[in-house]
Amino acid sequence: MTTATLSRPAGPSRLSRVWSLASAETRLFVRNRTALVNSVVVPVLFVLAVPALGLDGGDLPFGGRLLVIAVGISLVMLTYYNLVTTYVARREELVLQRMRTGELTGVEVQVATAAPTVLVTVGQVALIAVGVVAIGEWTAPVDVVLPLVALVGGIVLMVLLAAATTGFTRTAESAQITGLPFIIVSTGLSGLFYPLSVLPETLGEVARFLPLTPVVELLQLGLAGQTWQGDAVDGSVWAAAGVPLAILAGWLVLGTLAARRGFAWAPRR
Amino acid sequence: MQPATAAPSTDTATTPAVEVHDLRRSYGDFEAVRGISFEVRRGEVLALLGVNGAGKTSALEVLEGLAPAGGGTVRVLGLDPVRDRARVRRELGVLLQTSGLPGDLTVAETLRAWAGTLSDPRPVEEALAQVSLTGRADVRVRALSGGERRRLDLAMALLGRPSVVVLDEPTTGLDPESRRQVWELVQGLVADGAAVLLTTHHLEEAEELADRVAVMRAGQVVLSGTQAEIAETQPATVRFALDAGDPRPPVPAEVQVVEDGHRVEWRTRALQPVLAQLLAWAAEHGVVLRTLAARAGSLEQAFLAVADGTHPSLMEENR
Repeated sequence: MTTATLSRPAGPSRLSRVWSLASAETRLFVRNRTALVNSVVVPVLFVLAVPALGLDGGDLPFGGRLLVIAVGISLVMLTYYNLVTTYVARREELVLQRMRTGELTGVEVQVATAAPTVLVTVGQVALIAVGVVAIGEWTAPVDVVLPLVALVGGIVLMVLLAAATTGFTRTAESAQITGLPFIIVSTGLSGLFYPLSVLPETLGEVARFLPLTPVVELLQLGLAGQTWQGDAVDGSVWAAAGVPLAILAGWLVLGTLAARRGFAWAPRR
Repeated sequence: MQPATAAPSTDTATTPAVEVHDLRRSYGDFEAVRGISFEVRRGEVLALLGVNGAGKTSALEVLEGLAPAGGGTVRVLGLDPVRDRARVRRELGVLLQTSGLPGDLTVAETLRAWAGTLSDPRPVEEALAQVSLTGRADVRVRALSGGERRRLDLAMALLGRPSVVVLDEPTTGLDPESRRQVWELVQGLVADGAAVLLTTHHLEEAEELADRVAVMRAGQVVLSGTQAEIAETQPATVRFALDAGDPRPPVPAEVQVVEDGHRVEWRTRALQPVLAQLLAWAAEHGVVLRTLAARAGSLEQAFLAVADGTHPSLMEENR
């Protein structure tokens, strides 16, 4: 059959449609003082406390170490954890299902909902970078692209894993429990606070395959030319980046599958 | 760019806006929708009636594109709601039975954000006026009453100027005045040529709005047709009371009698001759039929008969 009656103005672009919902989400985020404080102030305080903990960062300069830790903490505590609670809260309030009845696709609704969290993540990392420059600890990165790949890949992976986590998270409060294994494992065994070389060898090798580890490795490689074992890179950083890039790509594929399978749009009956 | 009001081509004008054929849907072992079929044409309201759990919402979710069909086909304007999602959604307005909106946006902000996601939204002011929320535009959704929230939800459903509108229990929780207003809104949509599919368990609502009705029970459509056709599936009733000493009227062949003391109820499919006979008899014998009432079969009667399981699918036998 013909569908002549279906001719309608093309309407706004896909990006502008997502932006419409994303800016409403951002407005909501700003109006929610608790979320704002939790997501912005707490991680910043945490990062500022890091030097006092006197953690062994290998040979990485202090500024670079701070930046790696800031990105890692932001990704896990803000991007991942905040998004699990946001997605679950929106689902339990039946908002997600409502948003999905319109012209936006499911993925577009998920992206729009994630937008404020992602924006704050990027803003926070930028703020720390500016801070590092301000306290005179900035050293020119060995490679600029790798840290950016790490940041973007890390954000996308956290969004995917957060979406997947909602599948077994019944309430926004229970995200504190369902998100915990990932938070502990990825902060504890990613080389974020100490090089993986301090771990028993087998454990260190295994830890390289955890989701956050390749992000940390790529950051350290790009910012300081330092390998996962804490040594200076011998030769090209991109050659050394092959393994973490492959692992990150693998996690992005797995994360996509898990998010598609696990994401629940409506509360369970 | 083509104008939005392009004249409909003849074949789209005659194809039903919604076609559901042998639709099935299961949750695990439980089959919630068991092979239902119906159509909704342009400029028409079809009411899907049924008690809670009859499968109405499960069926709607498929044509809203929110859930895949377990079997059968669903077409909206000739298109598959899942495969042709983008084109279907541009034409479809959906009001879910229960849905939420973020509490910290104002009414106007909510509508503006939603309008930004649509191809051809009506102006926000117009949408506000449509559901009488103009004066509440700057109020946060959190502070709205249940009825106001439902009306905002309805305004969102209609914001994209849909030609096919699916309303799942649109007036549940509304006060009588708001309900009346929603009815007028729906009648306006239909007058403009929209196809409306709504579910309800208010019979009054179906009577007021529906051109055709489909009654569901346990995942099946057990009755469907115009209100008159459905009412006709039910016998007419004649009720009266007799005094103790009165003679008993002769019972015509086509009448089923239910007696409760002095009160008599006759059920018949031939109301007029049966009533004429009864009145003639009463006149002849000088009997006063106290509290005499004669009533044709009604939609309500049919609905109740279906709900308590005493009604088989008569309409299907008639076809």
